[in-house]
Amino acid sequence: MKVRFWGVRGAFAMSGREFLRYGGNTPCVELVTDDGQRLAIDLGTGATELAKSLMGTELGKGKGELHVLLSHTHLDHIQGLPFFTPFFLEGNHISIHGVDPAGTSLEATLQNQLAPHYSPLGGLENLGAHVSVETFQPGHRLVLGPFKISTAPVPHATMWTTSFRIEADRKVVTFLSDVEYPDPLAPDPAAVALAMGADLLIHDAMHPDEEYDLRRGWGHSPVSAAITVAEAAMVKRLALFHHSPDATDDQIDRVVALAQARTKIPLFAAAEGAYLDV
Amino acid sequence: MEITFWGVRGSYPVPGPQTVRYGGQTSCVEVRSSEGGCLVVDAGTGLRALGQKLAREGGGAPGRYHILLSHVHWDHIQGLPFFEPAYIPGTTISVYALLTAADELQQVIGGITRHEFFPVPLEAAPAHFQYHEVEPGVRMTLGEFMVLPIALNHPFGAVGYRIDCDGTSVAYVSDTAPFTDVLHKQHFLRGLETLSEDDRRTLDQIRADLVKALSRCDTVIYDTHFLPDEYARFPHYGHSTPDQALEICVEAGVRRLVLYHHAPGHGDDLMDKIAKEYAEKGEALGIEVVTSFEGMAMVIGGAP
Ligand SMILES: [Zn+2]
Ligand SMILES: [Zn+2]
Ligand SMILES: [Zn+2]
Repeated sequence: MKVRFWGVRGAFAMSGREFLRYGGNTPCVELVTDDGQRLAIDLGTGATELAKSLMGTELGKGKGELHVLLSHTHLDHIQGLPFFTPFFLEGNHISIHGVDPAGTSLEATLQNQLAPHYSPLGGLENLGAHVSVETFQPGHRLVLGPFKISTAPVPHATMWTTSFRIEADRKVVTFLSDVEYPDPLAPDPAAVALAMGADLLIHDAMHPDEEYDLRRGWGHSPVSAAITVAEAAMVKRLALFHHSPDATDDQIDRVVALAQARTKIPLFAAAEGAYLDV
Repeated sequence: MEITFWGVRGSYPVPGPQTVRYGGQTSCVEVRSSEGGCLVVDAGTGLRALGQKLAREGGGAPGRYHILLSHVHWDHIQGLPFFEPAYIPGTTISVYALLTAADELQQVIGGITRHEFFPVPLEAAPAHFQYHEVEPGVRMTLGEFMVLPIALNHPFGAVGYRIDCDGTSVAYVSDTAPFTDVLHKQHFLRGLETLSEDDRRTLDQIRADLVKALSRCDTVIYDTHFLPDEYARFPHYGHSTPDQALEICVEAGVRRLVLYHHAPGHGDDLMDKIAKEYAEKGEALGIEVVTSFEGMAMVIGGAP
């Protein structure tokens, strides 16, 4: 299995010179099995770049299929949806999987995003592709083609987001973003279980530890929380993810150096760019 | 007056090496009078950096801000929850917009921070938000600024604004299609639709009113999202080409046209070519043509 980060930035897309090496797009991650089957996680602005690369596949001919997992529907995780070109090609089958937000449904939420006052698309029914929105209860398991997925709800300020443990090609990738544990230094058993032995753990690390006190309660993890989970779950590699919009490339370099000095787990900061072997 | 461009991109923010020079953030322009009065036009993602600057200048003290919205498509309102002054108690933010949908403005604009979309609702922000409906053709006085809303041709409606102050004028005309092919009514367009006689009359009227409103305006900022070949493929998207903007501005006797709302796919090198080509076209027509980039500041009329 390979993984590619198309968007690694939290909250807000950042353009400009200081954000070129790690990238300024909001969350979108692509997983590809050895025989070329794909899964996308989240549709932040990075999805607009993923879309361009998918135009070279069956999805560019209106003959493709794609499963998308949504961790939640905060804007930075769905803001690329109206510009994800595979949606516009008749014949494509795209299914979006996620948990219903409190008090409403996932489908109603996406319809609201595309409502006529917000978007000229007007609604999901106007997308050319066949788009289905499929919801599941947090904690349920999904099988999407070759991908076997366990899910768990994790706390994100006043709400819950969905985290994923994804198995394919006998490898495991765990996606734990937009999470803030009540005590960031006491591993959350559900999160640790989801990450147990993973080949790659992608974890929210929005705040450098020294800035965390100012941001406590905002729903995101300090770097130490990511390391704590990675160590407790004995993962093989950790990717720090959901970088703060204010963190320049040089600042992220420093965060990574500090983090590496603190743990034996191999770690790096997720960056837009090439396919990585899991 | 002086204007500063905080976001010049259309549709969605575009990070990356292709947008380093022209910028990747979406629609947002700051207008300043010589007395220091401030108007913000559109609240796209460029608003975040403007808000940081305004909060810094204000030193944390509450302020009074006016934000004129062209319409409520995401690329024009997405910056609002990231506007730092919204989190300074005692601040008042007046938002002006066209009522284009059945809902109240407050529901539509506040709706972008429903809990599904954003962790903190705007209505819970410490600043006080006021919403004002604008009507095309009906002038408003906002501090030293005289503001005229102008009807445009965009899905579900949009307004432009002519702003007169300090004895000079600037207008913001985005987003709009030209006034020939499409009449943007309140329904989804899969492609071009045949226009009725009534539709044509309505479009002619919108165009005539726009030309009149822009008459002898010093500087006009115009939606020039498309190059002509792109427009030919997507005439129903609701955006114009620089040529269509030139036609309107030349007819209205405008001194300077600013190209704006750049397509997300137009990288820096292509933008350089567009800038050069249309500066030359403008020169031949007797009008200055400038291509906006993020961070560009421009004096309107005489020195402020
Ligand atoms: Zn997020
Ligand atoms: Zn726009
Ligand atoms: Zn628009």
